Formats: sequence, structure tokens, C-alpha cells
Amino acid sequence: MAFNLSISDVPNREQRLGTIIRWEGAASELVADSQFTCGPKASCCGGGGKKLCEQDAPFTQGNMCSECIAVTQAFMVKDSTVVQHSPIGCAAMQSFIARLSRDMTIQRGWNYRNPYTLCSNLTEDDMVFGGVQKLEQSIRDAWERHHSKVIFVTASCATGIIGDDIDSVTTRLQEELGTTIVPMHCEGFRARHWSSGFDISGHAMLRQLVDKNPPRKEEDVINIMHLGGPDIYSPLLAKLGLRTNLVMGGATLDTIYKLTSAAASSAMCTVLSYLAAGLEQEYGIPEIKVPTPYGLKATDDWLREIGRVTHREELAEKVIAEERARIEPELDKLRKELSGKRGFIAAGATFAHGLIADLRELGVEVAGVMSFHHDPIYDSNNIEQDMLAEAIASYGDVQNYTVSIAQHFQGHAALKRANPDFIIARHNMGALAARLGIPGAQIRFFNDGVAYDGLLNMGHLIQRTLATRKFSQSLAKHTSVPYKSWWLEQTNPFAKVNATEERGVEAYDELAV
Amino acid sequence: MTSLPSDDSNAAVLEVLPEKTNSIEQVRYVCSMGSLGSVLAIPHATPITHCGPGCALKQMGAIAGLNGYQGGEFYIPSTNQTEQDVVFGGADRLDELIDSTLKIMDSELYVVLTGCISELVGDDVGNVVRKYQRLGVPIAFAETGGFKGNNFTSHEIVVRAIVDQIVGEYDGPREQGLINVWSLLPYQNTFWRGDLSEIKRILEGAGFKVNILFGRESGGLKEWKTIPQAQFNLVLSPWLGLDTAKHLEKKYGQPFLHVPVIPIGADQTTAFLHQVVEFAGLNKEKSEKFIADEEKNYFSYLREFAGFYTGYTCQYHLPSLSLVISESAYNLAVTKFLVNQLGITPGKQIVTENPPDEYRDLIRKEFQNIASDISTDVEFEEDGYRIHNRVLSTNLEYHNPIIFGTTWEGALAGKLKCTLVEIGYPSTDEVVLSASYVGYRGALSFLEKIYTTVVRASTTA
Amino acid sequence: MAINLKTPVVETREQRLGTIIRWDGKASELCEQSRSFCQSSGCSSASSLTEFESSFTQANMCSESITVSQATIIKNSVLIQHSPIGCAARQSFTSRNYRDLSERRGWDVEDPRSMCTNLDESDMVFGGLGKLEQSIRDAYERHHPRVIFIATSCATGIIGDDVDSLATQMQEELHVTIVPLHCEGFKAKHWSTGWDVIEHGILRQLVNKQPAQKQEDLVNVIHLGGHDVFTPLLEKLGLRVNLVMGGTTLENLALLTEASATVTMCSALSYLATGLEQEYGVPEIRATIPYGMQATDTWLREVARVLNRSDRVEAVIESEHRRIAKDLDFLRNRLKGKKGFVAAGAAFAHGLIANLRELGVEIEGSYSYHHDPVYDGRDARQDVLAHVVKTYGDIKNYTVSNDQHFQEYAVLQRAQPDFVVTRHGTQVAFLAANLGIPVLQVFYSNDGFGYDGLLTIGRNILRILPVKRFCKSIQEHASFPYAQWWLQQNNPFALNGCNGPRDQSRCGSRCGSQSRDVPDSEWCELPHMA
Repeated sequence: MAFNLSISDVPNREQRLGTIIRWEGAASELVADSQFTCGPKASCCGGGGKKLCEQDAPFTQGNMCSECIAVTQAFMVKDSTVVQHSPIGCAAMQSFIARLSRDMTIQRGWNYRNPYTLCSNLTEDDMVFGGVQKLEQSIRDAWERHHSKVIFVTASCATGIIGDDIDSVTTRLQEELGTTIVPMHCEGFRARHWSSGFDISGHAMLRQLVDKNPPRKEEDVINIMHLGGPDIYSPLLAKLGLRTNLVMGGATLDTIYKLTSAAASSAMCTVLSYLAAGLEQEYGIPEIKVPTPYGLKATDDWLREIGRVTHREELAEKVIAEERARIEPELDKLRKELSGKRGFIAAGATFAHGLIADLRELGVEVAGVMSFHHDPIYDSNNIEQDMLAEAIASYGDVQNYTVSIAQHFQGHAALKRANPDFIIARHNMGALAARLGIPGAQIRFFNDGVAYDGLLNMGHLIQRTLATRKFSQSLAKHTSVPYKSWWLEQTNPFAKVNATEERGVEAYDELAV
Repeated sequence: MTSLPSDDSNAAVLEVLPEKTNSIEQVRYVCSMGSLGSVLAIPHATPITHCGPGCALKQMGAIAGLNGYQGGEFYIPSTNQTEQDVVFGGADRLDELIDSTLKIMDSELYVVLTGCISELVGDDVGNVVRKYQRLGVPIAFAETGGFKGNNFTSHEIVVRAIVDQIVGEYDGPREQGLINVWSLLPYQNTFWRGDLSEIKRILEGAGFKVNILFGRESGGLKEWKTIPQAQFNLVLSPWLGLDTAKHLEKKYGQPFLHVPVIPIGADQTTAFLHQVVEFAGLNKEKSEKFIADEEKNYFSYLREFAGFYTGYTCQYHLPSLSLVISESAYNLAVTKFLVNQLGITPGKQIVTENPPDEYRDLIRKEFQNIASDISTDVEFEEDGYRIHNRVLSTNLEYHNPIIFGTTWEGALAGKLKCTLVEIGYPSTDEVVLSASYVGYRGALSFLEKIYTTVVRASTTA
Repeated sequence: MAINLKTPVVETREQRLGTIIRWDGKASELCEQSRSFCQSSGCSSASSLTEFESSFTQANMCSESITVSQATIIKNSVLIQHSPIGCAARQSFTSRNYRDLSERRGWDVEDPRSMCTNLDESDMVFGGLGKLEQSIRDAYERHHPRVIFIATSCATGIIGDDVDSLATQMQEELHVTIVPLHCEGFKAKHWSTGWDVIEHGILRQLVNKQPAQKQEDLVNVIHLGGHDVFTPLLEKLGLRVNLVMGGTTLENLALLTEASATVTMCSALSYLATGLEQEYGVPEIRATIPYGMQATDTWLREVARVLNRSDRVEAVIESEHRRIAKDLDFLRNRLKGKKGFVAAGAAFAHGLIANLRELGVEIEGSYSYHHDPVYDGRDARQDVLAHVVKTYGDIKNYTVSNDQHFQEYAVLQRAQPDFVVTRHGTQVAFLAANLGIPVLQVFYSNDGFGYDGLLTIGRNILRILPVKRFCKSIQEHASFPYAQWWLQQNNPFALNGCNGPRDQSRCGSRCGSQSRDVPDSEWCELPHMA
């Protein structure tokens, strides 16, 4: 579905791509279903057609919303100011942003300071009378205090419901103050999964921050959309004589501006692909349409494709051979030690797929996966990028593949079923695993698992994690998880809640005062 | 990293303080939904949040995660409302969630909290919940829409909901010596777990039976049900809990004692125990023995500490003036201790949780009487940008300042070239388990923390 | 008396200067007795400077601690303590000290290199030289230093290890300078000899014996560490400083002989200055140390005179006075009428008294850890105590004692000050706190130097005055491990006799030793232990 850059709103992922957040079965089934419903073989994608089957779940637990993501993305632009137009609660994440900022500024070589984030702090009155005046005041305050070259304004559930016209304020003030002001329509309720927040960020960049008239193409520059962490791309691509524009994981306005003069784009996770697809659609910059570089084969293929697109095929082959040779001894050692170990993966879609590749490459069995959402297709409409398909084609199927937005109670069932030696997790699953006696590695930076060195990193991480198992084993003997015993025995994350004889309410008769 | 403080610390004086607007930078509390932490703090109680898909985790992640790393697991049932609920209303979804929660979760008490969406859209949450209440389920609901106040004010809304809807009516006898304690705000006050433990310990030492109500030493729902049997309510904080105490007075005829300053150090703690014992009319024998033992222990440590405190003044540039930026409970308690026990000059006190107007004079008066011969001011400010400006425009004369605040003050400490001790949300550089800074024992830990921080800061190697 | 650089062992201060560590009385009296001592030549004549007795003594520092601390803060050196392990317990202090100074001097901040030969019982029988040789080799292999210091200990002094011969031999073999430092603890009555030991070593082995040139604008500053407070003042006279002793490089030490003058910040450090003048003609500035306005003015004038800059000095003095006037007034107002007490080593104690009196603080009592009746420079102008008494008035109760806790207790009871300023270990500080008296513990003596030093000390005092609250709290619960009768004393020498023999001509030969042939009836007018 073509992007519409003339409006500031972005349709959410479930509308554009048929994204789902609940599923259970074998990974191969999911791949087949996805391609059936939304692949080129299907008649749909974005308008009519089948919707990928999604499970039911009356019981749900809280997690992130797309506003969190949009705000994080906004602050990750250097020297920006973010105005959260919301009641104070949405701004509770400011301390999280501050913490993230410290790591990011060091990794990018910037000077650390508290990030500039304001909240318009709406109260009950504003719900009745509207909050645009306070929004205007906060934007002015942001400008007076920090004079940033870009001010991002994010919406919230409250402002979406009361209907504050954010765009009219931002357009007017942009002209008056002479600085770029970017509205982001990221009301939490708008999307079922937080990944839509990335699309909103990509959309904003395409609309207001890229160079709309790029002078010429830099044939040796690749745009890399990534999720933050150390820059592992530049050293690797430099071997191909290529430079990188790193965006979305901490970038300057300058870098974003230059996106449109690059030779190609590669998104390190499909939740970041909106921007890549948009650059191709509007500026003809080809997206590297192969799976993300996790595991040997996908990394080789990725380098090859980059080589092809930038006319450096021979060089690419040379680098591939060299890199493989370089990591071979250590990889062998790791394979010997880790072979036969069973791991559980809990991460967001592409990252989970990538970790499957990494683990399997290391000889580790994948006992189970929880993927936080699933996109049956991507904005490029290209099934070649399907990392999950690639992973199971290269390394075999995953029998127990669960899609769930990090639901704790479902994680319990999935872990009980998998009974792994360790878990690699993003978000909150690590703590749960520890309570069940399973040592966990909580990965912070996505980039840690990418490409050749990423494989070794993962191997070392697993070794370190296995070594700490005494902690979780000790913990497991003395903790409990707050579910009814019948749920504690479940090994199917989607076991029907009303399949039991007992209705929850009757259990309380004896407690009735 | 802070560098050595200079001897003439006279920071840049700003000409004009920016005008107060609605904007808030450097958030220091969370929204009303943050009171889900208060529910979680009651053993075996579970909050059920009826709100957008990101609210509950965000509030919890803020006050319990990047604030002492107090908890990592997250399993709160939440309706995760979508566009459909906005358009068509979310009451049915809430009903479905409550039903399924009762099947899956193992808990003694449930409290439904509402967020922005349901309150704006007008879901009749009470109606949904009352259905379950009629069936005997121990479930309450509280209207805590995010735009209404903050987690401090909603804490008391939640408490009141539990009292009115679960504990219910009572006109039976009261137990002499049993007291309900209303004090620190769970999770928001980073050291609440160790602090409540110490508060319970000293009151028990003095001869009381204590309903501490929150934290691992609370008996949960069973304990809450004995609230009406208490002899009186003790409100141990500048203002949080007063509304609750007044409500309980009306509802159960229980008197209350308000002690605005949480005691830190022997002198304060002894005075506190005397006051409570006096109010209760308890026999003094037990409390006097307890106090004597505690003081003996405390002062023997303090005496040994004196070797450091007076012996390393110049070598480690010991601080001589405090800048306290914090919510009112810790602000008052810490300032009182620093001034009276350590002889530190109170430089600036900024209270950040936006206390209700009706309680501000009370707070001001406490600072005016910070010591028998010292009076100081307090300012109320929530916007971090303005807070830092206020501090930077203070004339520090010849003093060596030290900041007690939050991680936001790291930048301020850098500018003033002094040290920072984190005492409240957000404390992203503290890992906290059972540490306490109050009472007899907590004061000693507090001294360890302060002076270890000072020594390390003056040792760049 | 000239200093003798031909032997590796330095004469102790009591031998060279008649240093004493026990006395009590009026400061003016002490000055008087010291002056008459100074005028006599050598130790053989009778003098009126009497050292008091004390049969009860408490532990404190020895000269080995000092020598070892000083050796450690010379960059690119390795210190070998030739001793059993106990002497090396000092390493945790010296390490911390070195790191602090490194940071201030802009060096890499890292641990100093210190070793211990770790002698045991068999070495006491068979001698420890074999182990010393091994340690020297280890020091060389591991660290390749430019100089190795060997500090002796009580043990090695007694068993008679010939450290010098070994040092000479190894120096030749390894081509690295090896400096033996004879600092056995028992050798000297007071720790201040420790500074003389290291300075003796520097003069013998580390100065440039053939300086290529004289730098007419270079002044050696011998000090005890801290910020460089000297350059800002001396550069106003177009002078540069060569800072030594308080964190030094070997290059600084080599430069010593090229300078055109030497100043010392404490008389305990003046051995080096005297040696430089005696051997290399580098004049020692003979003025009192620059603490207090007048002393600083005089000192600056003398520095200017010796370095041919008298034409500029008055303008500098005037502008400095003007610069600090407002802040000084502020401090004087705040401190007016307060009663202070100083406890520190000589001459820093004298300097601090000057500073305090300059700030308007009353001083009725003070406590100095030792007393040198004369300095190696043999010049009355260097007598800081005399200067203080002359400029600001007498001090009624001036006690000399080597940091003895029980005596400090008595003098503080006697003085009842509003606050105490002290240096060294935390003993006095802790004691004062337990008596309810707030205390300023000065770490770097440079804090009190010159015009700015007045302000620094003044501000530091203002910061600690409110700490009286803390001290009072402690006092309410304090106790002291002394018998009741001692707790009531305010005469520090009440145990053995406080005023010395009434008939001083009966004291016999002195040289800092106690007289044993004065009958009991002649001693002490005040009641003591029954």
C-alpha cells in the first residue's frame, strides 16, 4: 500500500500489514499462513482479503503502547526537544529516556546532558475545555528554554479523545518561531501493538526532516535503520568501501536530512522498514530486500545484496570469506560448548527471528519462541525479506512458536512447556524466567546480535548466562507466581480461559463477608 | 562524575527565573494510575487497570523500575484499550477482563483503576465492579484517570476505596495499643520497604501492635480488615494520609495523631516515640527500655563516626550546606536530620510533589521551625527546569554544598561541582533492597551513604 | 653548625637543634628559653630550655612513617621498606596520598610502587640483606624505576644490616640510583627528623651536583602538598616556582640547584634549604613563613630583595591587601570574639595562630607537636613563634607535646575554646568533638598560605562552627578511658611535674634529654597523683 505523506497520520500496522499480536503453533505454519493471506500469492494486503488468523485472549496484561515508542524515537534525534501533549502519566517515561540518553550519547560520541523533554501536563479542566492553549504554551516554553532545531509534539490517548487539533498549532508555531515542529499522532489506543510507533517516527522523518531535493546520490552511502546500541555497521561496511547513515537509534538532524542522497537503505528490523520503504517510494532509494543479517547465511546474503546494489560484488565476496575465516576458531569453540543446549527466545518479531538464526548457528536448540507481534508482510511487499521464513528454511522449523505481546501469564505457560536451559529475552520475560529457575540474559541492545561478531557475542552471552544459573535456581525454590494453580499447570499459552469447569467467581463464595 | 568542590562555591547567579507555566520538564511523580503501585504494595493484592495499552507498565516501570530497581516482573491485568473501546465504550471489555482475571490470577484483593480513556469516554466502571462485589468477590474500584492529580493524591483515593468498599462498616470494640500507620508512598519513595520496616520495628519496640498496611510485613487483606479496630491512626508524613485519617475519624470515630516529620536519628526518633506513647496513654516501661537500648547503640556508632566527621573536614571537603530537592516527606525528614544532628546549614528546600494548597502552610511552618534556633524556607516547584534555575541562583557564600535529590540533579551537581545523594523518584543510580534511611538504624545507613558518596567524589582515582 | 653530607645517616633534630617534645607555659617564655639556647654553640653548654618529663606516653608516629610517606610521593621511584610487614601498614595511607597528589599535579593517577622486604624471625638471626638484595632486583625488574629508595626500620637498625654497602653495589650493577634512608623509628625522639632523612638523601644523591646554569627567576618551594597556591602570588613578581616535597618529580629535584632562592613552608622542612645554601649557594629566604598579613608582607619583601625585584614588591603587597580586604572584613565580623585553639606541628601551628589572630580570633591556648629552639639556618628572623608573640601578643598556655591524647584532653579542658583548628591524624579532632567543641581538620598546610590562606582558613572555620550541634550530641554520650582524677585535670603535665625544676641550674647537661638527678621535692608545685 502506497504511503500518503500528505497527511500527518499514519495508518497503524494492523491496517497496513495485517499485523497480529496473538498466535500459537509451528513457525512453518505461521509463515505459510502469512504468505497465503498477505503474500504476493494472495489478493490482499491492505485492502480487503483475508486477515491472518488471530487467537482470542480475554485476559490481558499491560505492556507498552506506540506513544512510548514514538516519544523515544523523537528524543533519539540529537538536540531535539520533545513536548508530550498529555497528562503527566505519559511523561513518567522521562526518567527512562534520561537513562537511555546516557548510554546513547556515549555510544554516539556526543556530550551528555539531561534530554529536553517537556509535558504539557493536562488536568481535568483541560479534558473539558481542551488543551491546545497549554500545548501552545509548552511549545513556546520549549523554544525559549532550549532553542532546538526540531521540536517533536506527541499526542496521547487523552488528547486524541478530546480532539485537540495538534496540527494546526504546530503548523502555525513552526512558521512563527522559525524552527521545525513535528506532530506525531501516536495516541496509545490507536494501535494494538507498539511497533506502530516506529512507523509514526519514520513517517515524520519523511514528511519533515529529509532533504526533499537531494543534490546527488552518494554511491558509497548506505542508510541503516537500527534500534540503538554500539555502531557495529560502519566498521563492517567500511570493508566494502561504504559509509553509513545511522538513523532511528540515535541520529543527528544532519544524518536524517542526508537519508535521501544515499545509495540504498537497510532496516535492521522490520518495524523500522516504513522509513526504508518510504525512501524507496518517494526517492527511488532501493531497500536492501533480504532478511536481516543474523546468522552466517543471512549475513553473507546481506553483504552480497549490498555488494550487488552498490556494484561491489567481488569485494563483498572477499569480505565474506575473510570475516568467516576470522570468526571460525571462536565459533567452533562456542559450538562445541553450546551444542545440545536448549534456549528460549522472547523478543519482538525480526529480532526473535534473528535470534533463532544465531542460536541455531551456534548449535543451540530453540526450545520455544515468544515473538511480541507478527507482521505477515512488510511495507516493501516483498517476501524475500521474511526473516522467519529464512530462519526455518536454513535451520529447521520451530515447533512452539507463540505470538504474544509479552504477556506474563502466557510466558509462564510457554516456559513451562519449553523447559529450556536458558532464555534470551527482551522486555520483561527475563525476570519471570528467573523465578522459574531458568537463567536469563536480558539483551539491551539489538545490535549485539547482528552479523559475524554478533554471533560470537550471543555465544559469549549464553555462556555467561548459563554460568549464573545458581541464582535463578535458588530463587525458584522460594518464589511463587501469582496465578491460580490450574493456570500454573498449563503449557499452552492460549489454553482457553473458560474451558475450565470452575468459573472464577464461584471460588469467592467462601470469602463472602 | 563530580569533581572536587571548590572552596568558594559561588555558582552562576541568574538574573531572571523563567515564568511558571504548565510545562513540566524532569518529571518527579507519575499520574494517578501510579497508585497501582500502592495496590501492589499490599501483599497478595492485584490492581486491574482499565486503560490504554501502555499506561500500567509505564507508571510501574517508572516508579518501581528505574527507581531503585525495586522490581522487574510485570503482570498487571490491563484492558489495553483500543480504538474500538474509545468509540464503543470499554465496559464490556472490562467485565471480560475481570472475569478472566479471577480465573487466572491468584490474589486476595483486587482493585480496578481507571485511566484517561475510560473516564473521558464515560465507562460506568462502578456498575461493572459492583456486579462482582455483590457476588462476594473482594474487589474495589477507584477512579484514577491520569489527568486527575498524581500518584500521591490517587493513593488516598485508592485507600479510601478499599476501606469503603472492602473493609466496610464496623462499630465493634477497639484494641488498645493497635495502630494504623499511614506514611510513605510505596515505590515513589525509593526506600519505602526498608523504611516501613524500621518504622514498624520502633513502634513495636515501644509497645504498639502495628498495622503497617503496605510492604512485606503487612498482613494484606486480613490486616486491612482490622483497620477499624485500631486505637487510633498515626499519620506519619507532612500531609499524605491526612485525608484518610479524617475519613476514618468520620467513618469509625477513630482519633488520629499527625506527626509531620518522619524521624531520622536518635533525637528525632526518641522524641517521636515519646509523642506517640503519650498520645496512646501506653505504659512507658517498655518504650523507655527500648529507647535506652537503641540510643546506646546509635550513639556508640555516632561517636566512632565523629572521628571521620571531624577529622576529615578538609581532606574530603565535607559538605556544609544542604540543597534538598524532593517530595515533602523526605525533604522535611532529611533537612531536619542534617541540621540538627550534623550541624549542616539548610541552603534550599524545594518540594516537588505539588501538595494540595490546604496543606502548604503546615509544611512551611515545619521548615520555619526546623531547629529550636534555626528557621528556613521552603519552595514548591514541580518543573525541573525552574527548580534547577532556582538552585543556581542561590548565593552559596563560602559553603561546600551537597544535593539530596533525584537523578535529574546529576546535571546540577555537575554545575555546582558537588555531590549528589539520591533520595527519591527517580533514583536511577541506586539499587535498593532493604536499605532504610529513617529511625535509629536507618540514620546510620544514611550517614554511610552520604559520606561514602562524598569520599568517593573527592577521590578521582 | 654546618650539615654533614658526607655520612649517609643524618643527625637527628635533637642532636642538631635541641628539639624538645614536652613543655608547657607561656609562649613568650618558650621563645626566651629558645633564644638563649640558640645563642649557645652546640649542645654542650647549659641552656635554659628544659624538656618536661612524662612517665606515661601514648603511641604516635615515628620518623620512619614520615620518611616513607615522603619517598612515596616522588614520581618514578620505588620505595622498598626493609622491615617486617608492620612498617608497611603505612602503605594504605601513602597510596591514597600519592593518588590525591597525582591528580593535583596532573600525573597519571595510579598506585605508587612500594614494596616491603617482609623480614621474619630467621632474618633477625641471620640478617636481612639477602632479602633486601632480592627486593631491589624485583623492584628493578618489575618497574624499571629511575630511583629506588630503601627505608630502614627499627629491626634492621638493631640487627645491623649494612644497607649502604649493598645499595652502592646494586647501584653500580643495575645503573639505577639507589638511596638508602636511615630512618629507624627509635633513632629520633620526634617524627620530624623523618623529613630531614629524606632531604638528606635528596641532597646527597638526587640534586644536580653540577648545575649548568642559574635560573634567576626560579624559586624552590619546599612544602607539604596541596594546591599550588604559590605560583599565583609569586608570578606577580615575575617568578616561577619549583615545587618539591609535596609531590615531586625527579626533574624538580634536579632543578633545585639551578634556582636562585629557596623558601620553605614549614621549619620542619628547612634542612634541604640549608643544605642547598651550604653546598650550592642557593640562598635560603630567611623570613618567617608567610601566614598572616605581616608575615606575608615581610616574606614577600625578603623574596623580592634576594631576587632583585624590590621595585615591584610594594605594589604587589598593596594590591593584594586591597583584593582581599572585603572578604577579610566579612570574616573578621563573623569571627570576632570567638576563642580558638590550634593543635598542629611546629611551625604550622605558629602559622595557624597568626592566621587566626589576623582574623580577630582570640587564642589563649595552643598545642604544638614539637618545638625546635633554632633551625638549621640559625637565623632569628625565622622564628615564627617569636614573630607571632611580638605581632599579636603572648599565648598564655602554650603546650608542646607529641600528640598525646591524655594531655590534649587536659589542655582542651583548660582552654575551653569555641573551636579548634588542627592537623594530623584525627586524634585531636575526635577528642574535641567528644568535648562538644567543633573542629576544623586541616589536611594541606598550603591552605593557610599567604593572603588567600587567611580567607581559606576563615571560610573553613565558618563552615564548621555549626557542627557544634553534632559535637554536643556526641558529648552527651561520650566517655574517656581515664581515671577520675585525670579527667579533672587541666594541666597536661600534672602526672610528673609541670613546671620543671625550680632551680634550673641543677638541671645539668641537656641536649634535649631529661634530667634524672633532680630530687622529687624540687619538682612540681601543683598536686598530682596521690
